[in-house]
Amino acid sequence: MTMVVEAGHLKRFAEAIGDSYPRWLTEAPPTFLVAMAPVSAHLPEAEEYGKGWLNGGNRFEYLEPVKVGDEITAIGKVADVYEKAGSSGSLLFIIFETEYLNRHGRTVARLRGTMIRR
Amino acid sequence: MNVQVGDELPELVKHPTTRQLVKYAGAQGDFYEIHYDQDFARGVGLPGVILHGLLKAAFLGQLVTDWLGERGTLKSFEVSYRGVDVPGRPYRCRGRVTTVTGGRVELEIWGEDPDGNHTTVGTAVVEMTG
Repeated sequence: MTMVVEAGHLKRFAEAIGDSYPRWLTEAPPTFLVAMAPVSAHLPEAEEYGKGWLNGGNRFEYLEPVKVGDEITAIGKVADVYEKAGSSGSLLFIIFETEYLNRHGRTVARLRGTMIRR
Repeated sequence: MNVQVGDELPELVKHPTTRQLVKYAGAQGDFYEIHYDQDFARGVGLPGVILHGLLKAAFLGQLVTDWLGERGTLKSFEVSYRGVDVPGRPYRCRGRVTTVTGGRVELEIWGEDPDGNHTTVGTAVVEMTG
């Protein structure tokens, strides 16, 4: 999925997180790329398991800044799925990985997320 | 560069509201009902609507970038969500320097609820240029 980083989207995102640092008018703040994730972290196939989703954690890695007007291609995949026993029943862990590339094909950032069905 | 192991980052206190959760849902594109529908949230065993984990991650990102300013760049950042947080309660974001290797600085970061529970914990790596 390819998207252009729009000034209006950055502004709405910075306002929503309550971060008024002026650089975020033209550059993506640290977590902005989740708004450009290619796949829903709520896998329909997993929804038969348990009753709800929890976010277990996220990891962001930055190689180059992402700025207004950049054309970003996000390539996402499910990297792993496993089950674990929890204190109130078993849990299903789904690990998502997304790689973000610029128009020159260089990786600018990586995102990893752990979603849990419980 | 004047950064030393043990330095504490200036605390950032956020005051999330239900309105903020709705704005965040729209800005991120995450419309899972546990963040704005009280009945839905209680139906899945939550105390009510809760903060998006990624909103708490954004708060901790701001903690680091406010401290860093133009002195360097954020290289990576990792958080685990250990507990739920509800709007209407202040969220304290804190951090400290754990390692300094040349210009590479590692930080321990966390978010605390008013009872002192560390409901988000993580680390960040920055590269100082100044």
